[in-house]
Amino acid sequence: MKEMVCIVCPNGCAMSVEQNGDAITVTGNKCKRGEEFAIKEMTCPVRTICSTVKTNSSAFPVLPVRVSADIPKDKIFAVMKEINSVTVSAPVKRGDAVIKNVLGSGVDIIATDSLPDNN
Amino acid sequence: MNIAKIRKKVAEASRGRVNAELKNNCIVLSGCVDSWDEAVEACSAAATPYSKIHVVNDVTVKNFIEKPMRMPALSDTALDGEKPDVLIIGGGISGASIARELSKWKLSILLVEKEPDFAMQASGRNDGEVHPGIDLSKGSLKHYYIRKGNKMYGDVCKELGVEFRRVGQYVCFNEAWAKPVIALYVWKRKHIDKIEDSEIISGKELHRREPSFNGSFKFAISNPSTGCVCPYGLTIAYAENAVMNGAEVMLNTAVTDMQVENGRIVSVATNRGTVFPRIVINAAGVFSEEIAKMANDRFFSIHPRRGTNSILDKKAGRYMHSVASIKELASSGGHTKGGGILHTVHDNLLIGPDAVETSEKENVATNPESIEKVFTRQKKTMPALSERDIITYFTGVRAPTFEEDFIIEKGRNCQNIIHCAGIQSPGLTTAPAVALDVEKMAVEMLGAAEKNTEFNPVRKPIPALRDMSDEERAKIIAENPDYGEIVCRCEEISKGEILDALNSPVCVPTLDGVKKRVRPGMGRCQGGFCSPLVTKIIAEFLGKPVEEVRKNYDGSVITYGTNKGGTAGE
Amino acid sequence: MNNYNVIVIGGGPAGLAAAIQAKKDCASVLLIERENRLGGILKQCIHDGFGLVRFEEKLSGPEYAGRFIDEFNSLGIESLTLSFVTKIEKKTDGFAIHIVNRGGTAVYTCSAIVLATGCRERTAKQVFIHGTRPSGVFTAGTAQHYINLMGEIPAKKCVILGSGDIGLIMARRLTLEGCEVLGVYEAKPTPSGLTRNIHQCLNDYGIPLYLSHTVTRVFGDERLEAVEISQVDEKMRPIDGTRKTVECDALILSVGLIPENELAETLGVQMDSGTKGPLCDQNLMTNVDGVFSCGNALHVNDLVDYVSESGETAGAAAAAYIKTGRKTVRFERGSGIMSLVPQMLNLEKGIDNVTVYFRSDEVANNRSLKISVDGEEKFRKKYAFLRPPEMERLVVDFSAFNLKPGSRIVFETEAAK
Repeated sequence: MKEMVCIVCPNGCAMSVEQNGDAITVTGNKCKRGEEFAIKEMTCPVRTICSTVKTNSSAFPVLPVRVSADIPKDKIFAVMKEINSVTVSAPVKRGDAVIKNVLGSGVDIIATDSLPDNN
Repeated sequence: MNIAKIRKKVAEASRGRVNAELKNNCIVLSGCVDSWDEAVEACSAAATPYSKIHVVNDVTVKNFIEKPMRMPALSDTALDGEKPDVLIIGGGISGASIARELSKWKLSILLVEKEPDFAMQASGRNDGEVHPGIDLSKGSLKHYYIRKGNKMYGDVCKELGVEFRRVGQYVCFNEAWAKPVIALYVWKRKHIDKIEDSEIISGKELHRREPSFNGSFKFAISNPSTGCVCPYGLTIAYAENAVMNGAEVMLNTAVTDMQVENGRIVSVATNRGTVFPRIVINAAGVFSEEIAKMANDRFFSIHPRRGTNSILDKKAGRYMHSVASIKELASSGGHTKGGGILHTVHDNLLIGPDAVETSEKENVATNPESIEKVFTRQKKTMPALSERDIITYFTGVRAPTFEEDFIIEKGRNCQNIIHCAGIQSPGLTTAPAVALDVEKMAVEMLGAAEKNTEFNPVRKPIPALRDMSDEERAKIIAENPDYGEIVCRCEEISKGEILDALNSPVCVPTLDGVKKRVRPGMGRCQGGFCSPLVTKIIAEFLGKPVEEVRKNYDGSVITYGTNKGGTAGE
Repeated sequence: MNNYNVIVIGGGPAGLAAAIQAKKDCASVLLIERENRLGGILKQCIHDGFGLVRFEEKLSGPEYAGRFIDEFNSLGIESLTLSFVTKIEKKTDGFAIHIVNRGGTAVYTCSAIVLATGCRERTAKQVFIHGTRPSGVFTAGTAQHYINLMGEIPAKKCVILGSGDIGLIMARRLTLEGCEVLGVYEAKPTPSGLTRNIHQCLNDYGIPLYLSHTVTRVFGDERLEAVEISQVDEKMRPIDGTRKTVECDALILSVGLIPENELAETLGVQMDSGTKGPLCDQNLMTNVDGVFSCGNALHVNDLVDYVSESGETAGAAAAAYIKTGRKTVRFERGSGIMSLVPQMLNLEKGIDNVTVYFRSDEVANNRSLKISVDGEEKFRKKYAFLRPPEMERLVVDFSAFNLKPGSRIVFETEAAK
């Protein structure tokens, strides 16, 4: 049995997870998302990353980005290295992918703010 | 001077471990004690207040290793071979004001300061009170200069474009019975000491003037000549005016040694090369004894004394509008100073300072006890005071002699030095008057000197937009839109003002340098919002990356650069 | 020409929501923002987790703000950026707002003001940290500005004081950007941030959390060299003999937020000791007629969703504002209630659908919130647990309470039956 805290929403449910072969039972969660999180956590834990990428603009030297979907937890620092190695040029629109299919994960790195042109 | 008597007092104070001798018209103390406080006690026992025969402290303290003076990181030859007429050592209020007064003459003036800015030590770490000369008796230099200095403040500050307010001071008493005694004291002050502004006011009148004060006060001494000024603002203004009039200023420059021949300083070594001045002015604050020693002219000793002040939010500034302290007749003695309350020129309240002897000349770290002690005392004057209103606190180190008077005189064993030493409170008040006398001494020492016909005594201050009417503001913004861009929200400082600070005659392009000149970061958020913006403005001004900007010292890095774009962190 | 029904001061999430709502309610609206872009502090809150309540999505700060900014722009609401309010004057028929910007000075008039001025961070000296004054001591927001807006790394090896959400999130941010976070220290015996943040920001990265510990002193003449950590007792006083020195080059402080109400105070707005924000009625109007407050200026929120909600409430009420008399009753904070918003009810306005926010003053399980009028219980709600860091929101219908001016309305918590 494993105790964990759900990180999906601010409720932060304290959950117990029991694994019997392939069957995973989750208790303590207030909603379905908690169960999904717990199962994922037992099989392939994933996390989100929010960071910034360098830009060619002096007014906005960095642009905030995040992953378009959660990535495996053990890939966090490898993905950070990719994020840290790119430079984007204005203009960029919120939601634009600044790195497509990062490390072949099927996940994009997307801008979470716009980088206006001509600044 | 009865040396036998002094010897006896010293022996008593030190349990026989310290001896006193009269050497070269100085009282030299030697021996070995267990603590710095014991050495101070022995020296104090030997000293006669205001005497010109000074105590020289050669007492050693067991296991005491004095920290060496902090040296600037810089090392070059920028000054090598310079031959100024006057070398001023120290960029506090003394050095800066002397430089400015001397710039009235056709002289080459070089001022060196080991710190990265002016007023980094005692001159920037005091309460900014322009004293009325309380507790000072005739016969001391403090008394002599305070009468002149206090009167000069209005004109000097006007010339230098520095705000000065004559707000008045109240020394408050709870004991009605003491009134006749204090009345006698005020009479003496007026007729013997010739400090003529004091009067006694009733508790009722005090309360009318300052309604937030403790209602229990029975009477107060009112000293209307008391004022307040921004002490580092005035120091910087003096320095800027000196530079405008031709003086040269070298920051991050420390004097390390002197070559003395036949009672004259021949050369002065610094971390930026050796200079050959005709005369030297020692305005080195806590290090003035060391400078005197380098000149073979050590006839006094400094015993550092720390004081801590707190600054309160401007909201608390509404509580009172003057300078106040409480005199408790039951418990007083020595330097157990509990400071006072002062409404600053920036409309904050300043609480403090206390007074604690220390062996460390440069230790300006704060301690919670200082704040607690001062607040406990000051709440008796004004019960509304609250530690919750504190926005910051700071410690300074005073540089008194054991005689507790100033030393303003030509060298005794060195012919081309003038000492401006032992300066402590009220050294800010006396500075304008002292500078005039040192100017006279220097000109005399140099022989004939020509007047600087281009001398301009007026320094135009950086405009303070927050004090302007909308119309005035609009006008100045039309000339320079940067004045319309507010960077520091708490103190309402515009980008234009920050750029003015960076373009001022003594450019100190650091966060603290800008903060001292135009105040971004001095408010209630303490730079939380504006410091990244100011850092960026400084970086752009310097044409350097943000990571090159410093808080004050060379090692006071703010950021470590970027890890983005594959340039770092690999 | 410079006259509006509503002027909103502050272009963060509260101000944006207020302006949008007021505009939708057919008011003429002007929003004044100090910085060069709208969005407020969300611009630098690049982590995700915003908007779960409102959008049922995990958005980053800029994305959350972006949605509002898009709506703001599509409604054609007027705004002034890089414009600073220097003074507000009360006039007989409204307010005159003086501003300064790169164009000069100007005065705008309005009938109602919405103050959405946000909050500021408590600093090192305000939590009585002593010692030297080196560089490297940052509030979390300042560090966040350097790292998230300027791309500048403010620390290599740091200690974080305060386990509020901002502190926890900065621990993760700094770790991701290559900084070593030695630990998060919290003077209280319980964490101040959300449990999920302790897991995803600290535990995921092996960052230790030390409860009942605080930083008492900093060392270093130039850059920070070390901090002194002390264990503290239940009254948060350092315990003798527990001091240790931790070498680090940065101290990041997340030790509390203070609503910014300096402008409000110049208008005579009264402050509440619990929230440190203005006293407000259910429409978020302060004691000064026509002056409304919302967002973190009103009280510090933990969720931006509630910030936006309060902005909408204030915006709607400001748009509908007509100067009339008020008949108000005050709420009283009874035992267990640290803060409460609103603090009063205007009986002349709708009281059947009042959103109430409160914080418990202790960590406790199985509690009830009780509202009583003149000693008689009128309302009760059960909570499995209450924690001071988590603000509770509920909607109460006061119309059935038979309220009249002078009624004594008390909010308190007690053990659930």
